[in-house]
Amino acid sequence: MRIGIVCPYSFDVPGGVQFHVRDLAEHLLAAGHSVSVLAPADEDTPVPPYVVAAGRAVPVKFNGSVARLRFGPVSAGRVRRWLAEGDFDVLHIHEPLTPSVSVLALWAATGPIVGTFHSSIPRSRVMIAAQPMLRPSMEKISARIAVSEDARRTVVDHFGGDAVVVPNGVYVDSFAGASPRATWQGTTERPTVAFVGRMDEPRKGLPVLAAAVPDVLEAFPGARFLVLGRGDGDDALGDLDATSRAAIELLGPLDDDDKAALLRSVDVYVAPQIGGESFGIVLVEAMSAGAPVLASDLGAFRRVLDGGQLGALFPVGDPAGLASALVGLLRDPERRAGYVTRATAGVRRYDWSVVAEEVFAVYETVRLGADRVGEDPAVGGLLSRWLG
Amino acid sequence: MLSGLPAGLFSGPRSGLGSDVMTWAPMVLVFLVLVGWYLSYSASRLDRLHHRVESSRAALDAQLARRAAAALEAAPVLDPATGLLLTEAAAESLAAAEDSPPSVAVLEEVENDLTRALNAAFSDPDDVLALRADPVTSEVLDLLGQACLRVQLARRFHNDAVAQAERVHDKRIVRVARLAGHAERPQMIEMDVTSPPGLVRGASS
Repeated sequence: MRIGIVCPYSFDVPGGVQFHVRDLAEHLLAAGHSVSVLAPADEDTPVPPYVVAAGRAVPVKFNGSVARLRFGPVSAGRVRRWLAEGDFDVLHIHEPLTPSVSVLALWAATGPIVGTFHSSIPRSRVMIAAQPMLRPSMEKISARIAVSEDARRTVVDHFGGDAVVVPNGVYVDSFAGASPRATWQGTTERPTVAFVGRMDEPRKGLPVLAAAVPDVLEAFPGARFLVLGRGDGDDALGDLDATSRAAIELLGPLDDDDKAALLRSVDVYVAPQIGGESFGIVLVEAMSAGAPVLASDLGAFRRVLDGGQLGALFPVGDPAGLASALVGLLRDPERRAGYVTRATAGVRRYDWSVVAEEVFAVYETVRLGADRVGEDPAVGGLLSRWLG
Repeated sequence: MLSGLPAGLFSGPRSGLGSDVMTWAPMVLVFLVLVGWYLSYSASRLDRLHHRVESSRAALDAQLARRAAAALEAAPVLDPATGLLLTEAAAESLAAAEDSPPSVAVLEEVENDLTRALNAAFSDPDDVLALRADPVTSEVLDLLGQACLRVQLARRFHNDAVAQAERVHDKRIVRVARLAGHAERPQMIEMDVTSPPGLVRGASS
């Protein structure tokens, strides 16, 4: 099958949607399909061979954080050319409402179009105001996928209709098979706790974890907190006392192998996020690596942890609650082992072998009874008149 | 010149009819062009949605036929009583599909029956695991599981298309200008198409 995938965020910087698109594309290629990914990327950024760069992305504030997006008339032209050259059976657009190449591709194409919604956006004035503008485009999507129940609710609340939930995928075995590193492995006296996420993004919850550190140190004076992620950690840590600060080790950004090794090594992985999460891919990665998970009780996390069966939960944004839950977990190896056993079985649901098959089932279903992907004649006519 | 005509018919006493025509004629023209554009735009939008409803319905019918065929294939691996029950439900579904397309009421009834039969036959993951010991059976069950998933997807996509089409159907401009013509109002398909618990891959959630 000839599949065109559109990613709105730049491949210059790492991010959840980008990784998802990359893994999906590689899985489909390995299965023998022809795949082309259109994404913003600088001309001289090294990208995988299946990625077509739509040009340099500009940082824009969107949906509460800064995203690197690509738009404008030149991009519109490139999107049109990519569609014409690709001659796709199915067009798969990620985040079809993000003002980047996604919106442009959705605008320019007709035929079997699949849209995947990654984020959960609370009902906002902007979305309500933009609805009449976005709705006709939305109507062109023949199959809507949401990566979580929260993302599905967002789409259905804003645009009615329905969407199927196909979660984000993880290569479970690459995490399960990573070798632990002695420096990150804990002992009974010196247990290790991992945090993964942008340090300077408050929604990721590093400040919540930092505020819980003094209480944890009272019970476990030797506890070590290993923080992985981009950004300036010192800002997020605020004015911690010297002992607590010394217990926190900022590892900076690490590559995928190091992340897998870290999650494989630690005694507990903590996800203190305070909002803006629609799925929680790191939780799935931690479960794949066999790390017991302690997460804030957000809807998305509760669902991934099967209501607390596969990992422990604490009240959102509550450092004291985090500290007591963490101390309880560190004191109880049996409970940790129970979580790990159940999570190891449960996490198979998110393996790419299962997820990609579901995505492919969506492709097959929209292709039935529909034509190929083509250019929207009305829009094409207008565009060519405007752009020459 | 139009200055000889009675002035003050349209506006202020001092302004002549000539300048009035110059002002409102282009405005009316622009208004008419806009209305015309909006009508044709709405008509093509509705047209596209009807096309989507039709193709998603065709996809649903095709996936239902695939599920029924896969169920027929799978029936012999079961005990004779369950197998017979499943064969009957699958045959009913295939027979109903011969009126193309079958009415929504008939479709909902036969497909609900088939779903119930499948759920009864493959309710226990452990039983299914035992059946899977045979590689040929395992492949037959894989195909059935895939078909069940695709039916679920196709139904959601169809109902989503219907919901979008209904919304545009109900717009005032579409009703007043009768843009829908004689096209029937699309209808949602409400049927139970849950996959049998024993056939869901990577179960847990």
